[in-house]
Amino acid sequence: MQPDFAELNRFLLDCPPFDQLAAEQRQWIAGQIKAAYVNEHNVEEFFRSYSPALYIVRSGGFDLLAPDGHLIERLESHDLFGFPSLLSGREVVNQLEVVEDGIIFIVSAADFDRLRQNSRAFELYFIRAHERRLLTETSFSQPPRTSATYPEGAAPAYPQGAAPAGYVDALQRPVGEVVQREAVCLTSTATIQEAAQAMRKEKVSSIMVVDDGRLVGILTDRDLRNRVVAQGLSYDIHINAVMTQAPATIGMTQTLLDALALMTQENIHHIPVVDEDGKPIGMLTNTDLMRQQKSEPVMLISALNKVQDRDALIAEAAHIPDYMHSFAARVNDAAAVGRLLASLTDTMTRKLIDFYEQEHGVAPAAYVWLAFGSQGREDQTLSSDQDNGLLLANDLNEKQLDWFAGLGEFVCQGLADCGVPKCPGDIMASNPDCRRTRAGWLERFESWTRSPTPKALMYCQIFFDSRNVRGNKRLYQAYREDVAKLGRSEFFLGNLARLQSRVQVPLGLFNRFRGTESGKDSDWVDIKRFGIALINDIVRLYSLHEGLTEPRTLIRLQLLESSKLLNRKDNQALAEAWQFMTQLRLQHQLAVWGTDQPKNALDPDELSTLTRRQLKSAFRIVKESQQGVGLKFGRIG
Amino acid sequence: MSAFIDRWKTALQHYWQRRRSLQKAWRQHRYIALDLETSGLDPRSDQILAMGWVVIEPPIIDYQQAHYFVTQAQPDLKQSPVVHGLVQRDFVDATPPEQALERLATMLEGAVLVCHHVQFDWKFLQQLAKQHQIKLQPLAKFDTLTYEAARLRQQQHHIARGSLTLAACRERFGLPNYEAHHAYSDAVACGELFLAQAYQYAGSSSASLQELLAKAK
Repeated sequence: MQPDFAELNRFLLDCPPFDQLAAEQRQWIAGQIKAAYVNEHNVEEFFRSYSPALYIVRSGGFDLLAPDGHLIERLESHDLFGFPSLLSGREVVNQLEVVEDGIIFIVSAADFDRLRQNSRAFELYFIRAHERRLLTETSFSQPPRTSATYPEGAAPAYPQGAAPAGYVDALQRPVGEVVQREAVCLTSTATIQEAAQAMRKEKVSSIMVVDDGRLVGILTDRDLRNRVVAQGLSYDIHINAVMTQAPATIGMTQTLLDALALMTQENIHHIPVVDEDGKPIGMLTNTDLMRQQKSEPVMLISALNKVQDRDALIAEAAHIPDYMHSFAARVNDAAAVGRLLASLTDTMTRKLIDFYEQEHGVAPAAYVWLAFGSQGREDQTLSSDQDNGLLLANDLNEKQLDWFAGLGEFVCQGLADCGVPKCPGDIMASNPDCRRTRAGWLERFESWTRSPTPKALMYCQIFFDSRNVRGNKRLYQAYREDVAKLGRSEFFLGNLARLQSRVQVPLGLFNRFRGTESGKDSDWVDIKRFGIALINDIVRLYSLHEGLTEPRTLIRLQLLESSKLLNRKDNQALAEAWQFMTQLRLQHQLAVWGTDQPKNALDPDELSTLTRRQLKSAFRIVKESQQGVGLKFGRIG
Repeated sequence: MSAFIDRWKTALQHYWQRRRSLQKAWRQHRYIALDLETSGLDPRSDQILAMGWVVIEPPIIDYQQAHYFVTQAQPDLKQSPVVHGLVQRDFVDATPPEQALERLATMLEGAVLVCHHVQFDWKFLQQLAKQHQIKLQPLAKFDTLTYEAARLRQQQHHIARGSLTLAACRERFGLPNYEAHHAYSDAVACGELFLAQAYQYAGSSSASLQELLAKAK
C-alpha cells in the first residue's frame, strides 16, 4: 500500500504550478517522485545520471551555471529547473553547483509530459517560464565572469591591456544595432490626416517630421489623441501645429541603456535616432527596448515609474540591493552597474518630486534638481551616498523659497528611506547652502576657485560632476557653462593639481603594495580613494581645462581624445585602469555583501596573482598620470 | 552428516558473502529507512500499529517504492492516538501484520535497515517476526541516533536533552522541518538524515559500508 504522501502534497501545493494540478494528479505525481540528497560530492553524478528531468529544490541551495560559468539562477527551496531541456529537447548544458547540501525532487521526463498533457495550466506555466529563461540566457551570453567567488582566487574580468570586449547586457548594445525600421518621414506641411494614414499604412505609432533633411519634430499616436481629437482640431491642419518640436534624439552609437535613461527622464516612448550629422535614421520605441530585453533593469525602472505614492516607492526600492546583487553578478561591465544605479536614483528622485508636487502644487518657479558626485558621474555603488542640490530661478519670494526648502527636505528624506544614505558632508538639497540661484552657485564656486583651502577644493570637485535630473534645461545649460568657464581658471587648476599630487598612491618600494588603512587591516588598500577617485579627479582636471560639461569619467576620456594635453596612450591607460578598478571594487563589494567588512578597501594578499599584478599596474598608471598632472598644471599659479 | 556439512558450508558462504559485501562502497548498497508506530514502549506487551518504509539507493529516495501499512484491525490504542494521530477509522483498511512483515523481509534481504533508534524498532520487528515465523535478515543495521550521538561527542559537544530527536538532528543538517508525524513521513525523514550523515562522513571517498557502520556503533 502506498502512503498518502501528506508532507510532499503539502509542499507541492505551495509550489506553482503544481498547485494548479487536480488533487488526483498531484497525489499521483507525489508517488512517482524520486528525492535525491545532493551535495558537492555527488552533484555531478546526480546531474549526469538523472537528466533530463524536472527538478524541484526541496531544501538547500544550488547555483545553476551556464556552460561558460556565469550564474543563471540561485536556486532555493521551491525553485524549479531543468525544464528548458525537457521542452526543447536540447541537451542539458548547464551545470549545477552546490551552495548548501539539500534535497532535490526529480520528476522524470515521461511523468512531466503526462502532467503537461493532463493540465493546460501546468503546460502554460512552463512554456512561459521557458520563454523568459531563453531571454535572460541569450542576453547574458557574452563573456563570462572569470569567477563568482572572488576573493578566493578570482581574476578580474578582462586581462591587462585589453578593454572589455563586447557587452554583456543587451542594454549596452548600441542603438544603431537595434533600430530596424527606416524612419517614416513627412514634411511639416503634411496634414494630420495624411500623417494618420501614413501611420496606418506603415503600421507605426509615430512619424518623424523632416524638412530639408533636418529633423524638426515628431508626431505620435498619443499626440493625435491628445492634441488633435481631444481638442477637436480639423484633420486638415498641418502637422507642424501639433507635433513635438525639437524632440530629444539619440545617436547611433549610444547604448540602449542611454535610450532607456532618456525615455524615463523625459517620460517619452519614442526617440528619433540620428546619425552624426543629425540626419534621421529611424525611430526607437519603448517596445523595441522591451523586445531587446525583457530584463529586470527595464522592469525595475518601469516598476519604479508606476508607483503611486511614497510608501509604494520605498517598498519597491527595497528590492534594489538584492536585484543589483544578481544583476552585478551577471554583468561584465562594472560601468553598466553604476549607470543603472544612477538611473534608478534619478527615477526615484523624479518620482519623489512628483509626489511633492501632488501635495504642494507644482513648482512656483523654474528650477533644476542637480545630481552631483557619483550620481552625477553615473558611477554610483550601493554604498554611495546622496550628493544633490537645487538650482533656483532668481528673485524668489519667501513663500517660493519655502516651497523649494520643503522639496529638498521631502526628496532627500525620501531617498534616504529608499536606501540612498544621506550625505555626511550635507551636500544635499535639504541644506539651504545647496539651494542657490545661478548667481548664488557661481559665487560659491568663485570663492572656492579664488581662495582654495584643501577642504574647499575637495568639496568643490563634487560639484563639477553634475547632471540635470529634473527641471529647466536652459537654466541648467546656462549654469553649467558658467561653471565650466570658472573651472578653466589656471590658478584654480594649479591648486587642484597640487592637491591631487599630495595623495599617495599605495605603491611602495620595489612596487609593493602599501596599506592605506589603519588598525588591524593596515595592509589593506582602499581602491576607491587611492584609485578610482583619483582617476576621476585627474580626468576632471583635464576636462575642466578643456571646458567640458560632461560629468561621466569614461565619456570625458572619450571627449578628451583630441586633447593636446593628454596623449592617446595615457588616455587609454587611464580608461583601462578605471574600468579595472571599478570592476574589482564591484566584485569585492559583492563578496563582502551583507557583512561589515570595508566596501572599498581590500586585502591584496587575498587577490589572485594575476589580479594583484593588474592592480599594481593600474596603480602605476594612476601614479604616472598624477605626476603628469603635477607637471602640466601644478606649476602654474 | 552431509546435510550438517552442507548447512555449515552455506553458513560459511553466507558469512564470507556478507563480509565481502560490507567491504563494498556504502553508496553501492540499498537501504531501507523504516519507522514504526506502536501502542507502547514494550515489545513484549505492546503492538505495532503501523509501519512505513522507503528504499534508498544513494543518493536517491524513491517514492515509488515507499510503503505504509496499518497492521492492526483491532488496536489497543491507549494513549498513542495523541502521539501519531491514528484514529479508529484508519484501522479499517488494515493489512494483516504478517503480510506487511513478509514484504519487509523481502525488501530487507541484502539491504541495510536504517532507523532513528534502531534497537527499539528492531525489537518490535523481531517479536512480530517470531510470532509469524518470518526471518528478517538485513545485511546490517544503521542507527542515525547513535551516529549523531557519536558525532556530537567527537566534537566535544555537551549532549543536551532533546538534542537527539529526529527533528533536532535534521535541523543540524539543514534538512527541512516536516510537520506530519506518522510512520511513513518519519521513515522519509530518517532516510534523508541518513543520507546527510553518510555523505558528511564519506564525502566523495568510496568509504565502505563497514567503515560507515563503525561510525554508528
